[in-house]
Parts: sequence; structure tokens; C-alpha cells
Amino acid sequence: MIKSQRLDHGFVEEILAEPGGEHLLTCWSCGTCAATCLVRRYEPAFNPRLVLRRAGLGMREAVLSSAEVWQCSACDACYPRCPKQIHISDVMKAIRNIAIREGYERPGAAARVDTESCIACGLCAAACPYEAIHIEEVASKEVASNGTGKLAAQVDANLCMGCGICNSVCLSSSISVEGISDQVVSQDIAALRRQPARGALAIVCNWCLHATTDWDVAQNPPAGVRVVNVPCSGRVTPTFLTTALMQGYDAVLVVGCKTDECHYKHGNALEQGRAEVVGGLLDLLGLEPERVQFAWIGALDRGRFPALLDKLAADANALAPVHWGDTPGYRGEVPAYPSAATAPRGEG
Amino acid sequence: MVDAARHPKVEVLAYSEVERVDGYIGNFRVDVTKKPRYVLEDRCNGCGECAQACPIEVPNGFELDIAPRKAIDVPHGQAVPLIYAIDMDNCIHCYKCVSACGKLDAIDFSQEPETLDLDVGSIVVATGFESFDPTVIPEYGYGVYPNVITAMELERLANSAGPTVGRLVRPSDGAAPKSVAMIQCVGSRDARYNEYCSGFCCMYTIKNALLLKQMNHDMDITIFYMDIRTPAKGYEEFYNRAREMGIRFVQGRPSQITEDPVTHNLYIEAEDQALGEVIELEAEVVSLSSAAIPRLDSEALASTLTLSRSPGGFYMEYHPKLRPVDSPTDGVFLAGAVQGPKDIPASVAQGSAAASRAARVLLSDSWEIEPIVARVWADRCVSAQGRKCGVCANACPYGAITVVQGQPAQITQAKCHGCGGCVAECPHDAISQDHFTDAQIVAQLQELLKDKPEEKILAFMCHWCSYGGADNAGTSHFEYPSTSRGIRVMCSARMDQDFILEAFRRGAGMVLVSGCHPQDCHYISGQQVAAKRFDRIPRALERMGINPERFRVEWISAAEGEKYARVITEMDDKLATLDKETLREETAKARPEIARRLKRWATVPGMAEMLEEEEVLA
Repeated sequence: MIKSQRLDHGFVEEILAEPGGEHLLTCWSCGTCAATCLVRRYEPAFNPRLVLRRAGLGMREAVLSSAEVWQCSACDACYPRCPKQIHISDVMKAIRNIAIREGYERPGAAARVDTESCIACGLCAAACPYEAIHIEEVASKEVASNGTGKLAAQVDANLCMGCGICNSVCLSSSISVEGISDQVVSQDIAALRRQPARGALAIVCNWCLHATTDWDVAQNPPAGVRVVNVPCSGRVTPTFLTTALMQGYDAVLVVGCKTDECHYKHGNALEQGRAEVVGGLLDLLGLEPERVQFAWIGALDRGRFPALLDKLAADANALAPVHWGDTPGYRGEVPAYPSAATAPRGEG
Repeated sequence: MVDAARHPKVEVLAYSEVERVDGYIGNFRVDVTKKPRYVLEDRCNGCGECAQACPIEVPNGFELDIAPRKAIDVPHGQAVPLIYAIDMDNCIHCYKCVSACGKLDAIDFSQEPETLDLDVGSIVVATGFESFDPTVIPEYGYGVYPNVITAMELERLANSAGPTVGRLVRPSDGAAPKSVAMIQCVGSRDARYNEYCSGFCCMYTIKNALLLKQMNHDMDITIFYMDIRTPAKGYEEFYNRAREMGIRFVQGRPSQITEDPVTHNLYIEAEDQALGEVIELEAEVVSLSSAAIPRLDSEALASTLTLSRSPGGFYMEYHPKLRPVDSPTDGVFLAGAVQGPKDIPASVAQGSAAASRAARVLLSDSWEIEPIVARVWADRCVSAQGRKCGVCANACPYGAITVVQGQPAQITQAKCHGCGGCVAECPHDAISQDHFTDAQIVAQLQELLKDKPEEKILAFMCHWCSYGGADNAGTSHFEYPSTSRGIRVMCSARMDQDFILEAFRRGAGMVLVSGCHPQDCHYISGQQVAAKRFDRIPRALERMGINPERFRVEWISAAEGEKYARVITEMDDKLATLDKETLREETAKARPEIARRLKRWATVPGMAEMLEEEEVLA
């Protein structure tokens, strides 16, 4: 039971005073955000409406200690639909800032860095949608060429949303998120490969499938198509695409969210560009560029996913199997995915 | 409507436009253009033979373009007067209607627009509302998914006189739907479009749902709502009946509608707040209860009739509680949804009230107005001396002042509401307001600042809002320091810059000018006139060596007693931090310059004795 004596109005004032939290009390609990929110598909307990409701009542302990305030990924799908125009992710951020000040920490896995193999190139820091990564001096035996201590990427666990985009740009495979590391995803892709390994692969972002029927299709794809899920299309390293082709898939499709609907701000745009580059490389190698495709699904595109998979299966069927032996530069083996141990090491 | 049209003292001018309105209460002159019908009104008997003969079909606006109409037609079956009209944009001049009309010979292709010049005593504005177009809400797919329709379209489809003779069909395939979802608050209660509650949608949605349920008891009907508002008599019982009939109510605002591209069925996603779970509901037809919005031409009519508009865009009443039927212009009354979204009983009630308010004017030989009107001193008005001015006419929210170069400004007193904006704006002090003359206000000011002025906050308050706010602070027992002294004028527009300067010349510690919030001004645009003037004051004070922090502008409504008390408290706190000796020095330094500026004032009748100190009259 909620007892009024335990409600803390000071907490409400604190949120209202925090940048981003100003509009907390204008919420009238219509539930539009909750119905829009995709986090709920994975975290059934998550409900932005209830977070705002509890916060507005002054339930300090319940709000600050809950996992929910950390789960909002600031995709802002709810914001344009909110009839009170409350920037909900900003309210969440305001509450998180209070939580951090009070010593609470984000639950769940954040990206981790292998500081020994990290070459401090800064690509991950530039790619991170949440500005959670910085290049800093770390404790290490190595000394940088300019005489300072070793530099390496460092992750602010309270800001990381676990999308894995950092991993997808990492040159040395030194940064990873538990459960979606390069090894795990490439093993998932390899595990789906059956002999004879013809067919097509769809790598699908977790957030672009909206209709229940789309999920049924993902579980039971049309003949010849295999589906792997990743948190964000931006997690897909170009190497996944090329190794999948070398492992025998005839075509690879990456499915992400529609422009401006990315759950992690801009992962979809990043991947769309990379897929185009990989297609161009295939062209240079004398292969059909359409072996690597990118497609998006918008929040309102019910029925688009099955059609995409059908088209992928048809495209793959129309393509002849690749004889890698004829490809210039092919050295005769399917590469194992590079791990941090085998990746090229930076010279500091 | 038929009764009204038959009444010997009622003349209906349908298919006509009001072009221009002049004059004032009891003596309006209205120019009306009567559009040509190309059908003679005294001959047409409404038989409809012409429409049957007409070969041209165009979309029927009354049926929301779901059905066709002919190029010669009446707006709808119950139209009053029942006289056909030719739509010349679509007529092909085949003259089949002429032969169909036969001996009646009512069709006349030579008709021209006719201008009427009417003398009327009062005017009732009852131009209604328009429906919000939900196309702009992408997540609801109106205009994209064929089976998403508006409640008005549903009403036509379910109406036995409608295009489908009361058989509800799906636009995509013409099949009878087995499930219908209705979504409330589309375009209303939504900060993106209209903040207000559209008021009557809850009731018409429940009516539509009951109608469909009665036609087909097996129909699955779901209403998505944020709040069901059924406040009038018998409404809650109606709502209860809908619940008992098995209509499903889900409290939760849908986030989106998606469509199955094959079946064209729709999926509505909303959070069922009672469960805290997201529900995905499949429906064959979705009806959007779209908001009532002001007519798109309401701005133009507002300027024709000198009306003002409330924040939502509907016409503003004279007083929300005490004079809800009167407009700010005397003799012009509001009825129905022009004043705000309203259902039929409320519109009929307001219409009856407006008719009797209008009749009062017609039955009177004379009309009493507030005795606080403005007057021009002809000898001071520069327009009379042939100079170009007209500042007063620009400041008047009612168009009560006419300025003709070579003649003194002319005030139509029946149109003057006594805001005093012209008095304060006149650069030559050539206008005065009865009972709020400069001399009377300055007399109050001098008395209030007689003793220890540097410890006082002089507060100018408008009659309708901030004076009410101060009153509210008192009756609500919101405490504030006793250092404030108030002067009430009718409108912030009356607060002359000279008053503020005179207050500082007299050594006032602080000066507050307060009025209505911009959208609440009792005098249409008086607040805007004032705000523009007040914007210039801090810099003027600074140039004279007076700390501009001693001057404050606040918009305080009659309900904001707490704000009034807070503002005075803050000003008092500020005053406490200022060194009194410095204040006196500032005053001494600025006095000669202020006196120089007020010199012109001293020639205003009654003002000389107010400013007897030599520095002004020297």
C-alpha cells in the first residue's frame, strides 16, 4: 500500500529543479508512451507512465532503486506522440542524475574494455550515441610513445545503454557488451549455417519488429532464410557480412529501424552507410553488390517484415553460389572471427 | 429552423456573406452580399426535378464527399430555405434543369450577386465550428488507411438518411464491419494541436456506439478514452447504458494504428491503464472522434465585428461567468460553438439567451452605457490643427475613434468601453476619460506618496484582473507586506507613462504596473497596447538615473491572489535591499528631467494645481 506519510514531496521538487525534469507534473497518465515504448517488449515491468506517476507522487525510494529509470534508451519514440509534449527521456535522465548523485548505479551489463588490447583510436567514443566513452590514461605497464601512461577507452557505466555500436567500430575488438560480443554473434551466425550452406541470412535489430506476427515470422522464417537478432543494426560489424558470405550464405540482409526511429539514436544510419560500402567492395571483387542489403521497418509498417524476408529468399535463389576460389586474393579458407587475442595490436 | 423561416418577422438570408459592419449598438449597418442561386426563390418549390435531370455529379460536402450530389442541388434534405442552387463551377450549361423545371420557370442563368444594406439593432453570431482534420496525426493513419474514418463520417454512414441508408460499410471493401474501435480526443486535449477539451465528443461517441450496437448486437465496439466526460443531466445514465450494452471501454490513449496490408484490418495499440498492460486490438473500422475547432474564417469575421478570440481560437465572451452570451462589442451576441465547443442543449440554451439579449436592444429607445467614456479636448488635438496623428484610433480596440485630418478625433461614445488606452497613448494629452481623469489619478498618487514615499510600493492595477487578484489575496488571507499602495484603473492600457514618472518624481520606492494576461484582456487588445508601452520604460528610467529594478511589470489574473502577494513580497524584499539614501539621491537627480517631460501635462485642465511645484511649472 502507498502511504501518504511515506511520500516525499521534496523528491518531486528535486526532479522539477533538475534540467529535463521540469514537465514531470504535466503528465496525466494517458499511457501513450507506454503503448509506444518498445523496451516493454523485453522488459515487461518497464512502463514509462508508471515511472512518471511514481515520481510525481514522490515515491523516492521506489523510483531511484528501480531498474526502470536506467532502461529508457532515449529513443524518443514516445516524445512526438505525447499529447502533453513531455520529453520523457529527459525526465528519466533527470531522475537518473539524482540517482547517480545518491550513489545508485546502473544495473545490468555495460560495455567493457580490454585496456591491454585497446589502441585508443577513439572510434568507439565518436560512435557512441550516449557519449559514454572517453579516452583516458589507464593503469598499465605499457607507456605511450609520447611518454604518458597508456591511453585506452573507458566506459561510463551509468550512461551506457548496451547497444554494442562501439563494438561494431572497434578495430581491435577490444570493447564489447556481454551477450553480443563479436564471438557470440559470429557464433550465432555460424551455428545457423547448415550444410549445404546455401540460403540467406537476415540480421534483424531487436526494435524494428512491432507486430506480434512479425515475431512469429522471425521465429519461423520462410525456407532458406535464417534470422539472427542483434540489439541494434548499428551493432553489425561489416566483418559479419563478409564472413557470412564466405561461410556460404548467398545474401545477407540487415534490417534496422526507419530513419529517425532508431532505438539508439543513430545506429541504423551508421549501418545503412556501412552496408552500402560493403556492397561496393563486393562490386570491386566482381561479386553482385545486392548480396549485402539494408532495409528498414518503420513503427507503422505492419506486414513489411514478412515481405522483406520473402524478397530476400527470392533474391538469394536468383544468385549463383559464390566460388570463392575464383575470387582474386582469396586464400582458400573461411576465416575464423578475429578475437581480441588475435586482432592486430596497436603500437601504442 | 422551418418555424423560424416561416415567422413573419424573420427573414432568412441563406447563401449570403456579411461583408462589412459599421455603426454601434442599436444602429448597425451591415453590408451583405447575396450570392446568385441562378434559381428564382419565389418560384422554386423544392421539388427536385432539376437535380434529377442534371447530368453532372460532384462530391457531396454534406455527406463528407462519401456520396455524390448534382451541380444543381440543395445542401441537404432538411435545408432551409428549400431552394435549389446551381454550382456554377461545375455546371456545363446543358440547360436540362430548365426543361425539367418546365412551367415553374424558376431557373434564371442571368442572376448576379446582390448587395444588401441592412440597418439592424443587434447582431447574433452563430457561425458554428469546424472539424479537426486528423490527417496531420501520422500515427493514426487517417487518409492513409481506408478504414480509418472520422466520427462524422461514421455518423453519415450509420445515418438512415445517409449515403448508405444507414448500413455501416468498410470503405476498403464495402463489407459490413464486425468490429469497430472509436478513439477519443483526436486533436483535442493534445498540446500538439488543441489544448482544450472538445466537450461533446464523449457523448456523440457513446451515441454512435449505441446506435451501431442497436443495429447489430454482435458488433464488437471498443472506445479508447483518456477520461469520459458526461457532466450534464442524464448523460451519466446514457454512459451507463452503453457499458451495460456491452460496449468495451478501454482507458488508454492509443499510441498508433497499423494496418494489415492484405485484410485492411487495423491494429490499435494502447495501454490499458487499469491493467497497466499494452493491448493490441484488431478492428475492421476505426472511428476518430476529432476535435471541434474554430471556423477557418473566424479571424476575418472577428475583425469585421470587432470580436476577440480566446486562446483556443473561439470567440471570447464579455465575461466568462456573468455575461457569457455578450461579445466585447455591445449589441453583438454569441450563440453556440462560436464561443466554445458545445453540444446541442447548451447551444440551444445559449441561442435562446442570445435572442433575448438581442431583443432587449431592439425594445429599448435608449441604451445605458458605462459612464467612463473617453472625451477629446478639441483644442488640444493636433489633428484639428491639420497635423497627421491618429495614435488614439490605433490604440482603440473597438474602432470607436475616427480621425480625419483637419478635424479633432471623434469618439463614438456608444462604442467606447472606457479602457482608457487612447488617453494614455495620446502624445498631446488631448483625451480624457470620465472618472479616470489624469487629475483624479494623480491626486490619488500624490496622497499615497505623501509620507515616506521611498518606503512605498505604488501598484497600478487593472480593474478586471490584477485588482481582482489583489482582492483575491485579501479574501484568501495571503499575507503580503503593508508597504504597497494601490491605484485602480480600468485597464493596464490606461497606465500612462506620465503616471510612472510622476510616481518616481514623488520619490516612490518601487512602482508596479499590473494587468491581465495577454489572452484574458477585458478590452480585447488593451494589454498589448500597455505591454508595448511598458517595454520602453526601464530604459527611459535608466537614462534618467533611476534604477530600473524599481519598476516592475506583472500580468496577474483575478484568480492569482497568491501571485499578487508573492510579487508584492518580492518587491518589498527588493526594496529592503536598496539603500534609502541612494533612492532619495536618485529621485533628486531625476526630478528636473522628469519635470521637464511633464511640463506639457501641466497645461491639461485640472492638472496645474496638481503640479504646483515650481520645477514643473517653471
